[in-house]
Amino acid sequence: MASSPAIELRGAGRSFGDHIALHPLHLSIQPGEVFGLLGPNGSGKTTTLRILATLIRPTAGTATVLGHDVLEDPMAIRHKLGVMPEKPSLYERLTIRDNLTFWAEAHGLADVDAAIREALDFVGLSGRSAERVGSLSKGWKQRVALARAIVHRPPILLLDEPSSGLDPSAASAMEHMIRDLTATGSTVLMNTHRLAEAERLCDRVAILRHGQLLELGTPGQLRDRLLGGVVRVELATRPDTALRQLVDTMAGLSNIEWRNRSFSCRMANPTIETPRLIARLVHAGADILSVVQAGDLEEAYLELMARSETSELEVAA
Amino acid sequence: MTAFAVAPPVRALVRKELREFRQHRMILGTALILPIAFLLLPIANLVTYDAHRSVGGIDFAVGQAMFCFFLSPIIIPATMAAFAVVGERDQGTLEPMLTLPLTNAQFLAGKVIAIFVPTITASFSIYIAYMALVAFGVHGPIRDAMLEWTWPFGFVVLAPVLALFSTLTGISFSARAKDIRVAEHLSGLVLLPALLPIMLVVTRTIPATPVTWLVFAGAVGLLDLVLWRTALRAFDRERVISAA
Repeated sequence: MASSPAIELRGAGRSFGDHIALHPLHLSIQPGEVFGLLGPNGSGKTTTLRILATLIRPTAGTATVLGHDVLEDPMAIRHKLGVMPEKPSLYERLTIRDNLTFWAEAHGLADVDAAIREALDFVGLSGRSAERVGSLSKGWKQRVALARAIVHRPPILLLDEPSSGLDPSAASAMEHMIRDLTATGSTVLMNTHRLAEAERLCDRVAILRHGQLLELGTPGQLRDRLLGGVVRVELATRPDTALRQLVDTMAGLSNIEWRNRSFSCRMANPTIETPRLIARLVHAGADILSVVQAGDLEEAYLELMARSETSELEVAA
Repeated sequence: MTAFAVAPPVRALVRKELREFRQHRMILGTALILPIAFLLLPIANLVTYDAHRSVGGIDFAVGQAMFCFFLSPIIIPATMAAFAVVGERDQGTLEPMLTLPLTNAQFLAGKVIAIFVPTITASFSIYIAYMALVAFGVHGPIRDAMLEWTWPFGFVVLAPVLALFSTLTGISFSARAKDIRVAEHLSGLVLLPALLPIMLVVTRTIPATPVTWLVFAGAVGLLDLVLWRTALRAFDRERVISAA
């Protein structure tokens, strides 16, 4: 039996006056899933997070978090949420410990010290709890913000651009921490502009633009749908005519382009056809160096944005 | 929801606020300098008092001192109250705080308590220090006039409701204002007329009797209830977040 969703948007939408920030959105996120919201600035990602965090109310539809309705039972939701805003938003004059103490006490934790110790251990800040937050770098502040979000061990985490403004090593550290969190079974909904990060971390992603859902699926499904399942094969030696003919006549492949020792082709269903292609190449005696799915989530995203812009221009014309 | 169930988040907010006030130079400065000034002025008045030369005599000297003490619970909370909501928003901490399991009433109650406690502590400390100085260091008719029981009675019943009045006014403006200075200025404008009845009593235009104090305290207390409801209405989560 399918478990009930951890997060569910039931046609939740939000308008500010005449401006529609989020068109009615239907989305279901399962417990333990890592879900990414992607899209350009102003696409409705933060509005979605704010609705789920009970900061703003939807003007259309509703949403539930662990079965609690954002309109009817916001307090129950706040107990179960950990929220990390885009900016660290910490009390800069207070120490790391004081910041976390406030959060732990506000959630009514029985053992505040143990909870803080555990959260600081997790983000690698043990031994620095007496430092003032204002003296920390952006990367360390983000760690404190993450520690604050998890100090009460919430089952649901809402992360708004968790690695925004971080240098590559700090962003990588943040990514590792989020990955570790998902290993504990937390459900994570994150907004991000870092598409490579989303591809590595997220089970599924949704791409929004102008408050509307454009695409939804696993990063692989989006790649397949938007880039057409292009596979690139590199061989150890230059292929002979027989091998070329074998590939050129193989069912399910199209747009085959040969380049010296490699070729690329489009597949209707790469999940089924890639192993079949490899088996036939091996059977024909070809030495395969690599088989990679061409394009990544970033390429798929850019393709989608380009298509969306084109259709908007056509509508406008 | 029982009172015990709502206590932890409010208590946590009060503790956080008090920690933050201690680290905030402007707030700490206001909370320390004003009470000292309100204590030194009556002392200077007492030291320089001369029964033969002082205009207005003993009543005027007592009135001047008491005006300073009644002023303290009104003026001390002003900066802290103005900072309460708009200050949180300016430093970007309001949005994550509103994801905590805090109702609007709990949020405002935490803010009010955190301002009320240091205000009342400072106001009563300077008054008690002054009264001790008068009791043990001053002789003659001015001592008797200062220690006349209706004044301490008036202070005890009126100071807490005045502190609440000032705090709630400041928080109401803080919930609506775009920045801290605007909140401070607007609440200052509202608080000034509140000094008029006190002025009338300390100048003996209205007699300083226990009934007078109780009537005043009751009226300000009622005003505090109205202000609490106003502050609750003024605090619109979506509005304060959207304005950030």
